Amino acid sequence: MYTLTFKIEGKPDVKCQVEAGTNILDAAVAEGVEIDAPCAGNGTCGKCRVRLISGAVEMPSNPHLPYIDYEEMWRLACQSKVIGDAVVWVPATASAFKEDIATADLSTPAELARYEKAMDDIFSSGLARGCTEKGCGVAIDIGTTTVTAALLDLDTGKVLSKASRGNGQIRFGADVINRIIQQMKPGGKERLQKAVREETLFPIIQALLKDSGKSETDISRIVIAGNTTMEHLFMGADGDSIRLEPYVPEFLELSGVTIKDAGMPGKPDAPVILAPNVGSYVGGDITAGVLDTMLWNSDEMTLFIDLGTNGELVFGNRDYMLCCACSAGPAFEGGDISCGMRATKGAIDSVHIDDDTLEPEYTLISGDKPLGLCGSGLIDIISELFRTGAVNAKGRFVRESKRIRYDEFGGTYIVAFEDESGSGKQIELTEGDLDNFIRAKGAIFSAIRTMLKSLDMTVDNIDRIIIAGGIGSGINMEKAISIGMLPKVPLEKYSYIGNSSLTGACAMLISDEATQKVFDIGRNMTYIELSTEPGYMDEFLAACFLPHTDATLFD
Amino acid sequence: MAFKRTPQVFSASINEVTLGTGEKAVTIGGGNTMPLYSFDAPPKHKVAIGVEITDTGVDKTLPGMAAYYEGAETLTDIAKRAAEMPGADFVVLALDGADPNGDNRPVDECIAIAKEVADAIDVPLAITGSKNVEKDTELFSKLAEALQGRNVLFVSAREENYKTIAASAVMAYGNKISAESAVDINLAKQLNVLLTQMGIQPTSFVMNVGSAAAGYGYDYVASTLDRVRDAALTQNDAMLQMPIITPVASEAWNVKESIVSEEDFPEWGSRESRGVSMEICTAASVIAGGSDAVILRHPESVKTISGMIAGLM
Repeated sequence: MYTLTFKIEGKPDVKCQVEAGTNILDAAVAEGVEIDAPCAGNGTCGKCRVRLISGAVEMPSNPHLPYIDYEEMWRLACQSKVIGDAVVWVPATASAFKEDIATADLSTPAELARYEKAMDDIFSSGLARGCTEKGCGVAIDIGTTTVTAALLDLDTGKVLSKASRGNGQIRFGADVINRIIQQMKPGGKERLQKAVREETLFPIIQALLKDSGKSETDISRIVIAGNTTMEHLFMGADGDSIRLEPYVPEFLELSGVTIKDAGMPGKPDAPVILAPNVGSYVGGDITAGVLDTMLWNSDEMTLFIDLGTNGELVFGNRDYMLCCACSAGPAFEGGDISCGMRATKGAIDSVHIDDDTLEPEYTLISGDKPLGLCGSGLIDIISELFRTGAVNAKGRFVRESKRIRYDEFGGTYIVAFEDESGSGKQIELTEGDLDNFIRAKGAIFSAIRTMLKSLDMTVDNIDRIIIAGGIGSGINMEKAISIGMLPKVPLEKYSYIGNSSLTGACAMLISDEATQKVFDIGRNMTYIELSTEPGYMDEFLAACFLPHTDATLFD
Repeated sequence: MAFKRTPQVFSASINEVTLGTGEKAVTIGGGNTMPLYSFDAPPKHKVAIGVEITDTGVDKTLPGMAAYYEGAETLTDIAKRAAEMPGADFVVLALDGADPNGDNRPVDECIAIAKEVADAIDVPLAITGSKNVEKDTELFSKLAEALQGRNVLFVSAREENYKTIAASAVMAYGNKISAESAVDINLAKQLNVLLTQMGIQPTSFVMNVGSAAAGYGYDYVASTLDRVRDAALTQNDAMLQMPIITPVASEAWNVKESIVSEEDFPEWGSRESRGVSMEICTAASVIAGGSDAVILRHPESVKTISGMIAGLM
């Protein structure tokens, strides 16, 4: 047995006894030391950096840890094994994902106003308020990255308190596929379930109760909206059915689930309602979200885009609805990008680049110095690099500047030099990052085109476009259009609705008719599987260009 | 009722690109009908045939090749012989020896070889490189300087190195390049857009949209050629109106049918006739698909394909 000490920036040290060969990330998880590991310890993201202060650990070389950093004793926690007593330093950035996540959780006046309007719209459409249960209830949106919830008075429909928290499953992987792989390992079902129930939802519900002065026994109804994978992991159903052909989930709808079944706090026999899934990659968060968009009650042809870890699209109006999902990958939330980060403290969320000098000007979500780029910052910087001609239409650097460095891997744009950044490390955007982002935006745009094409329609047939998701609040539509991520339609057709999934779940919580409506929406939606759509790959390749191979689409 | 013929002539047309200088200069492209539909409108230019020779010498294991190039010992002799081949419109020097994974012939030597060939012939010259991105970038840039004023075609610039090659070969030294992409209409168009955005004139480059020997995934090539030509003519897509050149020889002579010996596969017959068949099948297919120039190696193939072109265009 050896002693492993975590020196955590800004927090007390954590000491533990571990066997030789223990993985440092595993040890950190066991001791409750927060280290962000979006790739679930596969050694493919380079985010779980810790610095060896004394002692020794064994780590094979890894492409995500440059040699210079290795020499400076940085190690990837997930790739390092204990071979003796060791002291490692955990930088504050490694645990930043838990705090300060910018979520659309009804905490700003703008979000509250949007919420109020959505509720008015929903209940002036003919749906009646009111549900069978009395007391209070909890509406929960389980996102892959973030979980948000609100406690409502079931009689008045008033929001009594709200809370949010990073999804505790994050250490098992940033995306749904990694989570499912982790779930299918021995004991995985229990681990993933515990991570979302006990480590994420319990503290959220405790916070909700504390803020509202209610007690557990007051909870008499819970509504949960999550993507298909999140709902499966929450219920302990096999996620492999989602991941593997023929991609038919274990369940689309569940009925008769009680608070006791779901292991939640509250009246044991009270119902837990899960928003229905439509397919493997279009889940309850979308059906609940569609309720919020009012798409189902409108003549206008509406495109609803939920930009999360996966991109989900719904198109239609009161007569019909089509939906599909595309794997945009984690780029919009900062994953797969060397300087990417979630929308937390220190994240750059908007950028302007000078035409002549290519010097950047940026704003941060909060904090004084930048640590990285979040999704909206990425859209901005890529749009600006393209506008200034620093990168060509293929995402390759073609200009010279003190901000651009060329090496054998291509060009790199230095967003912040060492002395400008909050971590003392350069913040860089590489051609590899541009590739990843261009693929992500290509996936979204080609999904839109493919779905419209299946109806023999074009973007001109869209009356309005509604964007939801964590990335959305800061997103600059004009810049997103300039790089061909979103279709070129008049800007006034675009709107942002924040966390539509939570709003939809709240409506379901206080109304049996709204709940029934969401189930109707789920059953009425036609699910298009893009991977089997013949024209999709072609559309995708055409969209992997700035702004698009067919420039006339963005003239 | 009498049959009334309606010629299908498009208002859009393929760009015209001229290779070489002087009397023997060759212009390709210009078409405004479906490939080989000379009954709709007389073709502006015939499909051109380039005869490939390599810096590594003639493959004398093929009796027909050995016979045609008999007595040609120096590269000058070989180049002259290739230029005189009946049906040949231009000569293609394949710098196979430049491959860093092969002989890795230095750039200086390659320049000397290219100059020797260029001086030996009066027909246009095209040069294919090592297919190694880094080597070709340097090689083509230096060759372009050495062959300034000859209007040589460099085959090919790819997405990874188009910028350097286009800047030196076309912008600095007035030669031509071919833009190579991997059998995909979008990738082909993207590279053309990038070159145009650099300021390269559409009449200064051709494209090689990729090829495969007949039977080796050729269906992808066929649909790519069809779609590229369709976009150019019916949709007037200016970014796909470049003439197409297809290096057939390097594909056709590198598949099993053209490589395995007669001893190992006696039932397959002569290796040379197999290779010639592969070359002819592939060339005929890409011409029917819309290729404006083909690169061939064997005199028999050149004879057959030039006969086909003469008969149909």
